Amino acid sequence: MNNVVIKKEIKTVAIANRGEVAVRIIKACEELGLTTVLLHSEADINSRAYRMADRTVCIGKSPTAESYLNIQSNIQGAIAMGADAIHPGFGFLSENADFAQACFDAGLIFIGPSAESIRLLGDKISCKALALKAGLPLVPGYQGADQTVERLLIEVEKIGLPVIVKAAAGGGGRGMKLITDLSSARDLIESAQRESLSAFGSDKIFLEKYLNKAKHIEFQIFGDCTGQVQHLFDRECSVQRRHQKIIEEATSPSLTDDLRRQMGAAAVAIGQIANYKSAGTVEFLLQDGQFYLLEVNTRLQVEHPVTEEVIGVDLVKMQLLTAMNKFIFTNQDIRIPRGHSIECRVYAENSYQGGVPSMGILGRVEWPEGPRRRFEFGFESGDTITSFYDPMIAKVIVWDETRPRAIEKMIHVLNQSVVFGVHTNIPYLIEILSHPEFISGVMTTQFIETYFPEALKSKHNEALRLENSKKIYKEFIQKKSNSSKSNFDQSNAAVPLSPWQSYWRNV
Amino acid sequence: MDNNNYTCEIINQKMWIKQNGEIWCYDILDLANEGIRRKKSVGSSADKILSLMPGKITKIFVKDGDLVKEGQTLVVMEAMKMEYTLKSSSAATVEKVFVNLNQQVSLSELLVQLNLIK
Repeated sequence: MNNVVIKKEIKTVAIANRGEVAVRIIKACEELGLTTVLLHSEADINSRAYRMADRTVCIGKSPTAESYLNIQSNIQGAIAMGADAIHPGFGFLSENADFAQACFDAGLIFIGPSAESIRLLGDKISCKALALKAGLPLVPGYQGADQTVERLLIEVEKIGLPVIVKAAAGGGGRGMKLITDLSSARDLIESAQRESLSAFGSDKIFLEKYLNKAKHIEFQIFGDCTGQVQHLFDRECSVQRRHQKIIEEATSPSLTDDLRRQMGAAAVAIGQIANYKSAGTVEFLLQDGQFYLLEVNTRLQVEHPVTEEVIGVDLVKMQLLTAMNKFIFTNQDIRIPRGHSIECRVYAENSYQGGVPSMGILGRVEWPEGPRRRFEFGFESGDTITSFYDPMIAKVIVWDETRPRAIEKMIHVLNQSVVFGVHTNIPYLIEILSHPEFISGVMTTQFIETYFPEALKSKHNEALRLENSKKIYKEFIQKKSNSSKSNFDQSNAAVPLSPWQSYWRNV
Repeated sequence: MDNNNYTCEIINQKMWIKQNGEIWCYDILDLANEGIRRKKSVGSSADKILSLMPGKITKIFVKDGDLVKEGQTLVVMEAMKMEYTLKSSSAATVEKVFVNLNQQVSLSELLVQLNLIK
């Protein structure tokens, strides 16, 4: 293969995603003068991306299998709306090699790595084989082809407890099970196989030694259109609940210069071996000064903004330009992280009820703007948060000169944020950010299980709060009925008769 | 709580309040009418359907003597461009409907008297 770079023209980009990442991609496209097409489900006509995109096309019903996970619907929608390229965002079809291949076959540019790279790195078993070739340290485990429960049970014993079971095709915590005693091993393996089959269409799993005080540290890698792969430093995402990241930061407070160099080199090595193009992430576990490859995510990551903040890059634009064969690393690209950035994922869930999802129509939503604060959100007042999709409604990202200041800033910003209509995990996030172990930076992936195993306890006095709320309510309706007499149109705090018929904003 | 600085909004019959950095919500039934919920908490359901706000009756679904099921809609009222649906919290017979269509009502006015079926 030679490295002759022919510019590919892209005028219109279809977005095979939803929510805040769809908004993120639309903004990058706008800045590059590209037309956008949103490929959306029936439920998502009430979303910010729907209102922002130049063109929209409904590709199916609200359940993900009938829309966002349907390869043919996405491709047909993109072609029908005149797109030349598809950006898959993250989640859904973003790491699906068949989708990347189907785009190529249909004459569409898939904005991301090649189908072959996705296949090599995305399947965790072939990824581990590649890592061995590149000389990357691996966590002891089993990734063999013999997937019978009997064989898997033998391997569990060989590796030694605790052992974690993972979906070979998976990500995001689904299909993952932790085996801590042999008596429950069979049940857990079978349940992981079922979950994996329903979530990813494959029941292939693998086993791994579970590191019980590891930190989750990952490197952002990027392959330009000539085949050069570089890393854009590290992020730490040790604050996880059931393998779902909650708070991420760049750079990691735990790495020495030496470790950072070694891990960065390892990340680039595996990217190069896989001919990696576009944005990707190499995830590691770090325990007792030893690092192990966890997995490679062949896509843009939810937490990419913290890297963008400390390095000063726009990863989505880099992806778009790479897809057009216009992005090439040069010798001037010596990037050094500056300051510290933190991202908090705001989920629609009730912190005081152990994180049960909270659905409904969003009322007032306020994100307090300010220097080096970034709010990535896909839904606004009047939009409905449904149970069809991930409960993440927004990401709050801050940057400051030092980690302690960034933490303080994040707490302040979260305190000033308003989300009415659904409960959010903001109280939970503030508790985490205020925890001495988080502040000291030594937290591991066990942090949440150790310190926040249960629902947050509310500190308020219920009787006082109810009394106070009654007073507020009386005051509110008093004020409202007075003002509606003088000015009938003043109802900016009110939900109209049918929020489904008319979309409204604060005017 | 002496800090009067708050922000609030009513969404789907719930009042959301933010004060001192905390956000919470109550069903406006809990805020509008003293007594009703208190009764419920000691075991019996509400037999008096009261207005939640000063407003106008826009729909009446029952008449005197009707049998209603738990959760059945009795009256719909409109106030400040918002619509409120008042339902029966248990099976009951309608003893008396006190309001007419399009009638203006004040806060906590008795709209429907029910006889609860034990």
